[in-house]
Amino acid sequence: MTKLFSRRDFLKLGGSAAAAVTVGGFIPPLVAKAAVKAGLIDPDGDGYIPTMCEMCVWRCGVLAKVKDGRVVKLEGNPDHPNSTGKLCARGQSGLMNTYDPDRVLTPLIRVGKRGEGKFRKASWDEALDLTASKMLDIKQKYGPEAMMFSSTHNISQPVFENILYGFGSPNYGTQRSLCFNAMIVANIMTYGMEEPARDYNNIKYLILTGRNLTEAISTSETSALMEIISKGAKVIYIDPRYTKTASKSTEWLPIKPGTDSAFHLALINVLIQENLYNKSFVDSYTSGFEKLGTSVQDYTPAWAEKITGISADTITRIAREFAAAGSNALAHNGWRTSNFINSFQTERAITILNSLVGNWGSTLHPAAGEGAGGLGSIPQPAFPRITAPRLDGVPWKFPFVPLKLGIFQEMRDGALKGDPYEAHGWLISRQNPVQDLPDRAKTLELFGKLDFIANIDIIMNDTSWFSDVVLPEASYLERYDPLNPVGDKAFLRQPVIEPQGEGKSALWIFRELGKRLGIGDYFQYQDEQDYINQQLKPMGLTLDDIATHGYAQFPAGEKKTEFDWATPSEKIEIFSTTLEKGGFDPIPTWQEPAQPGEDQFYLLTGKVGQHTQFGTHNNKLLHKYEDTPRIWMHPDAAAKRSIKDWDLVEVTSEVGKINLAVMVTPTIRPDCVYMTPGYGHLSKGLRTAYGEGASDSVLHVTYTDPVSGGQALSQTFVTVKKA
Amino acid sequence: MANDTKKRFGFVIDISRCIDCRACLVACSVENTVPYTHTRIWVHDQGVKGDWPLFNRTFVPYNCMHCDNPPCTEVCVSGATYKNKENGLVLVDQDACIGCGFCVEACPYDVRYIDEQRGVVDKCNGCFQRVETGQMPACVATCVGGSRLFGDFNDPESTVSKALKNAKSVLRLDAKRQDGKSTGPNIYYTNASVEMVSLLTSDKFNQMEGKVPEASEYTVSEELWKKLIIPVLGLGIAGSFGLQAFYFTKQLIEGEKDVEE
Repeated sequence: MTKLFSRRDFLKLGGSAAAAVTVGGFIPPLVAKAAVKAGLIDPDGDGYIPTMCEMCVWRCGVLAKVKDGRVVKLEGNPDHPNSTGKLCARGQSGLMNTYDPDRVLTPLIRVGKRGEGKFRKASWDEALDLTASKMLDIKQKYGPEAMMFSSTHNISQPVFENILYGFGSPNYGTQRSLCFNAMIVANIMTYGMEEPARDYNNIKYLILTGRNLTEAISTSETSALMEIISKGAKVIYIDPRYTKTASKSTEWLPIKPGTDSAFHLALINVLIQENLYNKSFVDSYTSGFEKLGTSVQDYTPAWAEKITGISADTITRIAREFAAAGSNALAHNGWRTSNFINSFQTERAITILNSLVGNWGSTLHPAAGEGAGGLGSIPQPAFPRITAPRLDGVPWKFPFVPLKLGIFQEMRDGALKGDPYEAHGWLISRQNPVQDLPDRAKTLELFGKLDFIANIDIIMNDTSWFSDVVLPEASYLERYDPLNPVGDKAFLRQPVIEPQGEGKSALWIFRELGKRLGIGDYFQYQDEQDYINQQLKPMGLTLDDIATHGYAQFPAGEKKTEFDWATPSEKIEIFSTTLEKGGFDPIPTWQEPAQPGEDQFYLLTGKVGQHTQFGTHNNKLLHKYEDTPRIWMHPDAAAKRSIKDWDLVEVTSEVGKINLAVMVTPTIRPDCVYMTPGYGHLSKGLRTAYGEGASDSVLHVTYTDPVSGGQALSQTFVTVKKA
Repeated sequence: MANDTKKRFGFVIDISRCIDCRACLVACSVENTVPYTHTRIWVHDQGVKGDWPLFNRTFVPYNCMHCDNPPCTEVCVSGATYKNKENGLVLVDQDACIGCGFCVEACPYDVRYIDEQRGVVDKCNGCFQRVETGQMPACVATCVGGSRLFGDFNDPESTVSKALKNAKSVLRLDAKRQDGKSTGPNIYYTNASVEMVSLLTSDKFNQMEGKVPEASEYTVSEELWKKLIIPVLGLGIAGSFGLQAFYFTKQLIEGEKDVEE
């Protein structure tokens, strides 16, 4: 009775069942021609095309399997260092981002009231002409600074920036201040670089301060973490929640929120008191060490125990273990470090802790950064001089926030208050301010006040829903983007299918809008391929040369052996004269954070492995395997309020109120509740995500760190009662 | 008949490395066009154990165990479910499947489902369509934590054979068939703790009748035998009236031939 399946049977099976997951059209000639020419797909339209993921910002390499003109499977590209052959759940689900039945496939112009969700289809010419004329109207009446611009971390972001700087507006809001300002500014102040690279091969002792790597996944880094754990590396995980990363760590320390810097300052105290630091490294490469000892002398483990809830013995032991691991130790700087006003101090303490054990050249390395490396740049004129102050107060209120980072939440508040002037329009590209800014009511209030809002996205997200014009971008599997240098290669994002509907690449949309705004000179490329060919030119390569493997190899450069710290002293600045001049603490100090009142909880948020920020909740494949969004509460806290598992509760902060089901769990401190961000969408154009869960942004109160500009997301306190 | 297939494909899953990221689940759904209402593979969350703050929590991925002695093939009335003689994978010929669901009931691991749309039974096929072209199954290829491995246990040089040799501990979720034989599952869990046994006492597997913990009679080698820790809960399914009915029906259709091949 046993018989072998024939290959044909399987193909038939695959074909007949395909409708269960995928929809889409046949490969139109353009992509097919390019891919056939590159030898990637056969004449039947089947094969693998190398490209890059965009389900988060990590940018894994992808091999997209194309069959009968549809993308049917995505694999991690083994040639790409960020994926190392693997993709996470989000990466695997990427084709449903492209085949989402709720994609916006034509330009849309609002016909109903703003936020009513009534749009009519429009041609690209009409939608772009309207957008440009509204923007130019605003410029003429109120000046270019009355237009705000927003985008997020993506490969075409520098080209988007040509629009705002060419247009003449200084007002640019990105996700950065909601995410990593504290970490980046601390690294700049101490090391003179944004973020050093980590080498997991050398890590034997790792302190993760809230870096929940198994849920906030960066594929290659998460894989590397699991590899070192299996080889016996010791991992200390600090978090008020027992996350999945905690379950994989050697030790979980349920620290009191907002006290991370006290923990790290006490580690530094022990290293100095017990003379455990790497003296030769400190002497050679750091400045200001002599001032550190006196600064931290009161930050003893006993002192920190009272603040953090972690015992003095544990702190002392960890300091000794960390020092003993020496160059094989690493205190991870985290990523989303927008937790408390004092998060900048935590980040500074972490940089100093690493410097004291001299792990540079071993577990830490100077990062190559996101520079274009050996790539050619596209010619463009100088930007016009911008004289208007920025709405976000950078640098006139916030001198140390890099212009590039800005302060998103302050821009929103400045525009709302008309301080120092009113904004009248907002051009948004792949950013979702309605969902991601704290205090959603404020954001919607601003949306209600503006004369004009246009959003460039692939989907009817909440920001599209409240916009006047929606410009449909092609998805990441449907378009080219500029090359992305990673290490010694420049990686290519190339279309694996033709855009569905009338979706267009960002490069095309920005150029067409630029032309209509009279700033076409900032977009000197004929099309996407031409842009990439101009980038490749100095290397003597063309797009055709790199399409097959999906990357260009940079010529081997000389490997730097000397450290190069771009600080005023050209050393690691334990004592920062820059901070001192600005009137800030030049050496990290303990700044007591605000604490919840009687009956209140810290509201914690953080990622899960199945979603990215606010943008993936309509993806049916991720929806299939996600956990039902609930608010975590400790059994003691729940019992006190007669709350049971799955009860619906009302959660109230200073600025908003939500209803959500409860998960009663011992894996969170009794003084905290936690919710997964990104739910509670308002757009009825998201048929999978609409109505699911609640938005943390409704509850978040806006607090800005004066040094780094980071939003203090965990500084929101809530009460919880049965709904 | 444990080793009567040329190759013996199966999985080694390192329990210590599963992070419950669910990349495998999504990859499987896409690769095999699994309906949104069903899944072919699972990650079982053992739940939070222990006292604050010394908790532990383990994730146990599982799917069809591609048993050496699969109970499902025994009860299949149409011959659609069979063990591939070439590579040992337990497969379903969905053209022949009549969707009766006997195999779904017979499987002690509950890893089969009826696809109502197509009226057939579906389950993990070890990504046969990939494996035969030299690729790893979708779940293995993308496993972010490096927990899942796949290969031929008959080949001592395969990654799975080597992983077993090097493992600190190995555990199988063996089950007893009606005829007293072990199912001989081909998922080997490495670095698994004794607590993992609770997978079998979880709600899911409680549905099975007559489960009696007992020692395994199956070993890969003498060497490996020594490493097996409390390896087996025999899920005796003897005495299941339902199953007797399957056998009866099967015999009606096939006559009294020896079904053991």
